[in-house]
Amino acid sequence: MHPEITALRRSPPERTYIVRTLCFMAIYILINAAAIVGLFDDILGQPAGWAVAVAVTAPVVGQIWATLRLMAQSDEYVRVIVAKCFVLAAGGTLALWTAWGFGETYAAATHIPGWLIYPCFWAIYALVSPFVRTSH
Amino acid sequence: MKNRLRVLRAEAGWTQADLAEKLGVSRQAVNAIETEKHDPSLELAFRISALFELPVEDIFRNPHRG
Repeated sequence: MHPEITALRRSPPERTYIVRTLCFMAIYILINAAAIVGLFDDILGQPAGWAVAVAVTAPVVGQIWATLRLMAQSDEYVRVIVAKCFVLAAGGTLALWTAWGFGETYAAATHIPGWLIYPCFWAIYALVSPFVRTSH
Repeated sequence: MKNRLRVLRAEAGWTQADLAEKLGVSRQAVNAIETEKHDPSLELAFRISALFELPVEDIFRNPHRG
């Protein structure tokens, strides 16, 4: 097989992870899109609105589960890479969120919604991944 | 960790993908070991040793020996 094609081939755990990621991402986007177009307007702002909050959180939990399954089913090298990226992304997100939170408290920084922590985590994960893969 | 994996693989006429398949790991893992970006676990080092029928220290340089 051509070297480039070989390089693009994914292992079964990686393929499963990609499918699971796309499914959870689709659920996350669909629920939020439904809320934006007003499908849940009757319950938003009321205690029943928590159902929407929990529903949109479910794919987030699912994504963490998919990542843990990828680590469990992959070889030791992939496991190390994913773990390093995860720890760096979690650490970076915690630091950024803490700094911004105190910025809001002490420096009148603009309030940002808490749900942004999830896209922030994956943005940092994507940012650190190439460096982790090429580092010793 | 310095090693002779690339040389041994080339002598056997295998690609990284071939070796990965024989070891039951990803091609990235083989590449990372060859380029000294990943130190294999003892279990994987023994698997490599058994595949090439060589002692571990003939494949991986022991940094604790002079």
